[in-house]
Amino acid sequence: MQFLMILLGLLLLSPAQTQAYDVLVLQSLHEKGYDEAVRGFKRECRAGMRTLVLSDFAEADVTRIAREEKPRLIVAVGDRALELAQKQNIAPVLYMMALNPGRSRSVSGVGMLLDPARYLSVFDSLGAKRVGVIYDPARSGAYLKSAEAAAKRGSIQLVGREVHAAKETPAVLESLRGRVDAIWMLPDMTAVSPASTEAYFLFSQSERVPVVTFAEIYLTMGGAVALAIDRFDIGRQLGKMAQRLLEGTLIEEIPPQYPRTALTKANDKVVRRLKGNLGAGAW
Amino acid sequence: MKKSYRLSPYTKNFRFRLYLLFTGTIALLTAAFASFYVMTEINGYRITLEREGRLLATILAQNARLPLFAENREALTLLAEGTARYPSVLSVSISGTDGRLIAESKSRKETPADAVAMEVSITSPGRVLSPESVLLGHATADEERVIGRVRLRLDSSGARDRLATLVAASLAIGTLFWILVSLLCYQILKRVTASFNMLMGGIEEIGSGKLSARVDLDGDDELGRAANAINAMAASLKLRELENLSLQEELLNAMKMEVQEEKKRVMARLIHTNKMTSLGLLLSSMAHEINNPNASIRFSGHMIGKIWADAVPLLDGVWREEGEFYLGGVPFEKARLVLAENSAKIVENSERIARVVQGLRDYGVGGGAQLRQKLEINATVSAALSVLACRMKREVQLSTSLGTGIPVVAGSQQQIEQVLINLILNAMQAFPEGEGEVALSTRYDSAAAEVVVEVRDNGTGIGAETMGRLFEPFYSTKLESGGSGLGLYISQYIVVEHGGRLQLSSVLGKGTLARVVLPAGQVN
Repeated sequence: MQFLMILLGLLLLSPAQTQAYDVLVLQSLHEKGYDEAVRGFKRECRAGMRTLVLSDFAEADVTRIAREEKPRLIVAVGDRALELAQKQNIAPVLYMMALNPGRSRSVSGVGMLLDPARYLSVFDSLGAKRVGVIYDPARSGAYLKSAEAAAKRGSIQLVGREVHAAKETPAVLESLRGRVDAIWMLPDMTAVSPASTEAYFLFSQSERVPVVTFAEIYLTMGGAVALAIDRFDIGRQLGKMAQRLLEGTLIEEIPPQYPRTALTKANDKVVRRLKGNLGAGAW
Repeated sequence: MKKSYRLSPYTKNFRFRLYLLFTGTIALLTAAFASFYVMTEINGYRITLEREGRLLATILAQNARLPLFAENREALTLLAEGTARYPSVLSVSISGTDGRLIAESKSRKETPADAVAMEVSITSPGRVLSPESVLLGHATADEERVIGRVRLRLDSSGARDRLATLVAASLAIGTLFWILVSLLCYQILKRVTASFNMLMGGIEEIGSGKLSARVDLDGDDELGRAANAINAMAASLKLRELENLSLQEELLNAMKMEVQEEKKRVMARLIHTNKMTSLGLLLSSMAHEINNPNASIRFSGHMIGKIWADAVPLLDGVWREEGEFYLGGVPFEKARLVLAENSAKIVENSERIARVVQGLRDYGVGGGAQLRQKLEINATVSAALSVLACRMKREVQLSTSLGTGIPVVAGSQQQIEQVLINLILNAMQAFPEGEGEVALSTRYDSAAAEVVVEVRDNGTGIGAETMGRLFEPFYSTKLESGGSGLGLYISQYIVVEHGGRLQLSSVLGKGTLARVVLPAGQVN
């Protein structure tokens, strides 16, 4: 079975089967979020492109494809696609919808994490001075550094706590009792796991501090404010970057970007309940 | 045996039976309800206990989720101890998915054998996604992952205590309820069956024969209608009784009359018997009275005959010598014959008188010796005709048709002759105008071996009423003209005595046929 899949993949990926194009879109899998982002990308970038969904194939030799088809740009959608795309150095790579993109010379794109300044402004508006944040340095260390840098520019103090395993989160949260005015819930796979998620909200409930999170879904569990990404707009944002690349701009000249659009949602009931406990700037 | 006898009046009492039935049913129902209540309560208690245990276990599982995830033994132990403080909880244990005991707490109570065990899984929240999934816009799923288990043992000894309390309370309340309802039932039955008893009393009174009694029960219910029906029935019975009495009286009267009639008939028969006895005596007396002079006459006749026989030669000599002479105004030549003939007739008729008298005497005394004589029917007919020769009327034509080859009949010629004389005389008297015909015939019915003598006249005939009484003694339509009313009676007697039968048939206005049928032969 695996042999047949490989054979089919080779046939589909062979140059004879395809026409000339500028952009090779590598999509990790058929995913609603990925599809939304790709639609946004295609809206903005009018270049000829070929889309490969990697989950359709047992194995995809992206280097061979890039060598033989010579796309001018590879767009990686998702972490796996980015990982494969980074294995070749024939075409520049733009990524989107990747949670941990890392840093590379010929790679740029739009991350999934919003600019920390946006969160800080929310905390500021909530009147929170001390913001507790739990993170895995391996995953979100860089992001937190930039956040701390941004915080230093304002009046907000980030109280960071490192976790290296998901089960540490409840205990680490306990250590923040009485020390923070708000909790910043990062999209960190270690700090936020399905089992530990409710610990944030239990903490919020017992300490009467708001939790600012990264997705609207957490508002139903007790989150106060959610700053969510707009996947379609991320695609469009990346489409513009690709357009610039195709027009001749070097990839080194195009730095990675935060998503330009943030969808802000608040749980009014929670905010109202916690109002008395927040500062003057609270909503 | 004595007991049952003593109890039987009660067991036959409708009120008692109903009361027994009611109280029995109420007792059964009360017991059933009490049992049902106790069972429901115990089940409810167990269900409540289990629900409470499950609730406690679920709450504990919810609360233990994060400490278990964080492997916080202290927190888990605290939670277990907190749960174990509930009165119904015997022990609490929290374990991981691999069965490893993480925290445990036990109450001071000893664990009974019938403790209720409860186990609830500790699950991670199913609707919570990983951050990556959330960012990719995955839909939430309800897949809960088991991360541990909470086990509770619940004390069910309270159920036993509760059962004992409930049973005692149910028994007490049930008994009280039964007594109250039984008393109420008794009062209700008393009221209800009062009408019934009244009805029964009325029925029994009517049943005992007092049909004038009435059931004094008002109302339009079933009992009232039954009372009305019974009253109507009693009235109807009363009416019938009166009718019956009337009919009985009529029957008695009729029977009395019947008895009187019968008495009359018996008396008539007695009188008749008496008459016949008297007649027999009369006949015997008459026979005696007649026989004596008749014997004298017969003797005289014989003597006259003998004397005349002796005198005739002498007188013949006188006649021859002296010529004609007269005796008693009659010339000797004629007187010679007439006297001899008359003397013979004197003897013959005297003998005849003797025979008749003997016959009457035999009839009177019941003699039957002559019945064994040989009897020639044609000779008998001739003898009868000769007797009646002097009484023959000129207006009545008598014709005879005597059959031939007629066998002899065993019997008395004189008696049969008497019968024939009676029948011929009756026939001759059947002509009020005086003119008529009488036909006499004899024949032999060989098929039946019977000798038949018929006397037929074309007279006035006999009416139906007279025909029915022809053979009654002393019944005669000619009593005023000297009829004795014994002719046909005696004739029938004689014929029956000879083993034959006397038949009379008549058509009014056309005549009468008298038939004497005698069995042929049989002469010893």
